[in-house]
Amino acid sequence: MTLAVAKPTAADVPLPLWRKAVAAALDGGGRFAGAYATDDGDELRWRVLVAHGALVRSLACRSAARRVPSVVDLAPAAGWDEREAHDLHGLGFDGHEPLRPLVDHPADPSAWTVPMTGEGVHDVAVGPIHAGVIESGHFRFHLVGERILALDARLFHKHRGLERAAQGGDADHGLAHVGRACAACHVASSVAYAQAVELAQGRRPSDDLRVARTLLLELERLYNHLNDVSAVCAGVGFAPGAMAFAALKERAQRLNARLTGHRFLFGSVAVGGSTLALSGGAARTAGEAVRSIGDDAAKAWRSLMFARSVQARLDGVGVLTRDDAVRLGAVGPAARASGVREDVRTTSPRLAYGDLAAAVPEAPAGDVRARLQVRALELESTCAVLGELLASGEIAPGGVVTAARDAPNFGTGLVESPRGATLCAVELDGDRVARVHLRTGSYANWPAVAHAAAGNLLPDFPLINKSFELCYACADR
Amino acid sequence: MHVLLRQLNRVRRDARLPRGRPASLAVRHVDAGSCNGCEHELQAAASPFYDLQRFGIGIVASPRHADILLVTGPVTTRMREALLAAYAAMPEPRLVAALGDCAMGCNVLGDPAALAEPLEELLPVAVRIPGCPPTPDAIAEGLLGALDGGLPRVA
Repeated sequence: MTLAVAKPTAADVPLPLWRKAVAAALDGGGRFAGAYATDDGDELRWRVLVAHGALVRSLACRSAARRVPSVVDLAPAAGWDEREAHDLHGLGFDGHEPLRPLVDHPADPSAWTVPMTGEGVHDVAVGPIHAGVIESGHFRFHLVGERILALDARLFHKHRGLERAAQGGDADHGLAHVGRACAACHVASSVAYAQAVELAQGRRPSDDLRVARTLLLELERLYNHLNDVSAVCAGVGFAPGAMAFAALKERAQRLNARLTGHRFLFGSVAVGGSTLALSGGAARTAGEAVRSIGDDAAKAWRSLMFARSVQARLDGVGVLTRDDAVRLGAVGPAARASGVREDVRTTSPRLAYGDLAAAVPEAPAGDVRARLQVRALELESTCAVLGELLASGEIAPGGVVTAARDAPNFGTGLVESPRGATLCAVELDGDRVARVHLRTGSYANWPAVAHAAAGNLLPDFPLINKSFELCYACADR
Repeated sequence: MHVLLRQLNRVRRDARLPRGRPASLAVRHVDAGSCNGCEHELQAAASPFYDLQRFGIGIVASPRHADILLVTGPVTTRMREALLAAYAAMPEPRLVAALGDCAMGCNVLGDPAALAEPLEELLPVAVRIPGCPPTPDAIAEGLLGALDGGLPRVA
């Protein structure tokens, strides 16, 4: 099926001016937020998205020869995006050398790993199937003894082609593909998609819908952060902490099931609405449940502070410096633990976060301890936001109002998932999806995990990995 | 003397307890392209609220130690080879279970070009646990049902 490509929001940038235009967009605190290729048969369009707070600027260029200038030196965070476009759309990037495969999996390791030679250098290959109940992904460690020199992560074993499958389908149905990219980030990705479609249709959420979506997003953060603290405890082999927080996560998921009928909140987000409806009494009861979980989490956290076998393992492990976090485009708790004071929730005009501030620990050392501390701080603020919204009484599913007379047919949604800024871009052709692109917090942060692992001991990698606790599913799509 | 009596009493008390299940099940999980929902719920099934281990069901690190291969996800082209390698590494008799709707081939989302054959066509599936994702209760029920109902004999 061929589909007309949605009209660009601004004129395409001529190729010779492309790098200058991207550099200008990044000037003054612009954050590279994603990029994707659109194939309309004759030519390829390459679109780069730059976020300034809640505002997402879009720049596009076209190439019939399927080659565009790389911007990876201006925005190193674009490295994966350019490699993905090369693998999935055959788009070449001048100046991106070597352009290693990312989504494609050639058999020869030299095609996708950084060459390492020297006395005593050896490789350890792990995965794609891991020892525990873990998602599939392959890690190639280059070591001297037990010390990690470098790590090449080969993900996309779970690539299901969800974006391609959504193309040509109904705009409302596209939600099924985007929402199922990842269960743990279901609400964040779904809200980002719904926002993008609504913007493309010239509509905006009503006040009720903002509240309902904010509630759903924070319920998702609650069980995820509890899970992540449990995972770090498991990473140091501390069963009491792992069990305590796993039990709290279970309570949070049972609350999800009571409120929405699903433990992962599946089906609660819709384009132009939500299915969350609570009477005043039900909202009060839910508020009490959240408070009880929050109190018990605070107690469990305090006892963790006195567990010496845990405390001795957290400092100086898996350090991601502030400069590296910014350079690599890290987002979410991982970036905040390195001192990057950014949280999409603080600038979300289409949600109801009030005056929420980004949580940065007192000593943002960028190590495992700092990443754990951000989770603890955010558990507090998440319970506070949930308590406040649930105390306001009845929760209505909400709807949308038409804001613009003309539908631009192109829209973006930006949401803070439990793992960081998640962006969804949608191009519509009438009621149909011409192109959808999802770039989640996990996708943004994977290069930072590989970077933070270098210089550490191999046995510490599971702990480092769990302190980021990224999803493979929503990166692979 | 006192200690001996106490131990004797304990032995008597234990003898009156109902007998447990006569078998155990060593499970090896393979994610063949799931959304991570089945993994979360499988982990929950081993967590304090459900504690599958008390029924003799344990998750093992290697397919070499496993009785049953528990597969999640619709089987992507990129996971096909690893999945078959894990099955080949298992000692016989061995079983395959499909965990969740995707592994059972129901309502699979995604581009056919990125997906391999359905699990049913790749491996002999003996146990099916539906759900999107199946709840920890459903996982426990499915695996215990397989254990109680007598696992199909596979050469």
